[in-house]
Amino acid sequence: MCGIAGRILSAPGRLGRDLVDLMDAQEHRGADSTGFAIYGVPRDSGYVLRGMGFDKSQIDANLTDFTNVLRDHGSDFLSDPSILTDNNDHYCFRMEISDPKNLDAWVKDVDTLTDRIEVQSCGRALEIIKDMGGSAEVADKHGVREMIGSHGLGHARLATESSVLPNASHPFWARPFSDTAIVHNGQITDYFTQREQLQRQGYRFLTENDSELIAVWVSDQMKQGLSMQQALTKSITSIDGVFTFMIATTDGIGFAKDRFAMKPLVVIDQDGGLAAATEEQAVRRVFADECDVINHDGPSLTGTWGIGNRSMAA
Amino acid sequence: MSEHVIEVGKRHIKEINEEMQEAAAAGKKIRVVNTLSRHNLGIGLPDGAELYFEGSTGYFCGGLNTGATIEVERNTGWALGEGMSKGYITIGGYAGMSCGAAMIGGTIHVKGDTGPRCGVAMKGGNIVVEGKIGYQSGFMAHSGKIIALGGAGESCADALWQGEVWTAGPIDSLGVDVEVIEPTAEEVAEVDAILDPLGLKDTSREWRKMVSGQRLWYFESRDASAWLMI
Repeated sequence: MCGIAGRILSAPGRLGRDLVDLMDAQEHRGADSTGFAIYGVPRDSGYVLRGMGFDKSQIDANLTDFTNVLRDHGSDFLSDPSILTDNNDHYCFRMEISDPKNLDAWVKDVDTLTDRIEVQSCGRALEIIKDMGGSAEVADKHGVREMIGSHGLGHARLATESSVLPNASHPFWARPFSDTAIVHNGQITDYFTQREQLQRQGYRFLTENDSELIAVWVSDQMKQGLSMQQALTKSITSIDGVFTFMIATTDGIGFAKDRFAMKPLVVIDQDGGLAAATEEQAVRRVFADECDVINHDGPSLTGTWGIGNRSMAA
Repeated sequence: MSEHVIEVGKRHIKEINEEMQEAAAAGKKIRVVNTLSRHNLGIGLPDGAELYFEGSTGYFCGGLNTGATIEVERNTGWALGEGMSKGYITIGGYAGMSCGAAMIGGTIHVKGDTGPRCGVAMKGGNIVVEGKIGYQSGFMAHSGKIIALGGAGESCADALWQGEVWTAGPIDSLGVDVEVIEPTAEEVAEVDAILDPLGLKDTSREWRKMVSGQRLWYFESRDASAWLMI
């Protein structure tokens, strides 16, 4: 029983504040960890990285190894990395890097360091912030309320199928596809079968969390030529389990619900802005006045919501 | 009867429900405002209590009702009136999934549509829906009636027991082990008697009544065709 949320602003603004409100209203659905995917101002070149290291006593050594891999791929830092530490063993980082010669190849190499330091999002616009604890705790620690953006996702996690660890928090990045993130409420029952098929194609998974799998599965379908809408429709019959997930790219947000209609999704779409969440009381935090809600309660539902002109690119 | 107004806002739900119980015990009509679609409002209210919710409510509204008359102006979330044994609940708009789940008595009246599994595992009482009931409504209903004036969604009345699903509208598809039968005049009269006090009686309707085919009641594991039903 996790809580998920999506938010599209009618114009870029205080996205972080809204996502924190959406997740605060759903904290009872899971306070093991909370996370946010925020799409900020897209850059023409270079990437923003967000991630974690797992032993803060080794920050310098980890960063040296990380920097060496980066430079091996023709990239470097565009500014000094920001490192955030607290009482936990793990630390969090934000980095701005120039374009590696080949993003996929760099991600593959930097993934060899994941027992020590892990990249959890990579994008022109996307930043994934996630950590242990409830929404206010994570928001305060990482300054989420002050973050601006056009659209994003939120997640409150009640761990069921995998460990309660900082890096098992949601959202998940669809590694190695830049600017793609997912939040998911449910369980995938053919997880290992699907994972094995994707691994045979060369994809890597850093956790045993089924949400990470869906993100890569949908992105792979899009890489093969499907639109997001087509990929979402295909997911209903291709992925087994009970689920509602939302997946975001720089163009907008898509959602899919399983064949059994077990996981809720409520949407308010008004005045060019949109809020979607597991529970109605969450979307009412953002749209305070009584207004029409759309209950996506039925089975086998999919849809996409674009930013700007409000239609997703094919 | 004097009116007592209760503000929900961000107050603790337990505190709000206690205030409702106290106002009901004092014989006051209750108007609930600024509901913000919050969960667990109006739980376990006693016989004779009268509540009106402005706006919408969240999950489990009116659960375990033991005789109160509850009205919600707009929509309600999942599990409306779950486990209720007596009383009336009226929803002005849409009711989310599992409306009337496991209820054993009383009447729920939804003026809009419902989400999936309306009346799941209900053991008595009546659910009247002016719109359409959602996917797999009536699932494993043991007793009671679900009356959908606007039609039924997919997999309707799946694995029904002795409950009944009635509709005067289209049925998208039937669930497993369901039979659609022509109701008798006496049975139609029973349904009209439920609809009449709600102002919904219309003798021109062409009813279809869904009941259990009873094959799953006597499931025989060596019967291959029985397995194919599931």
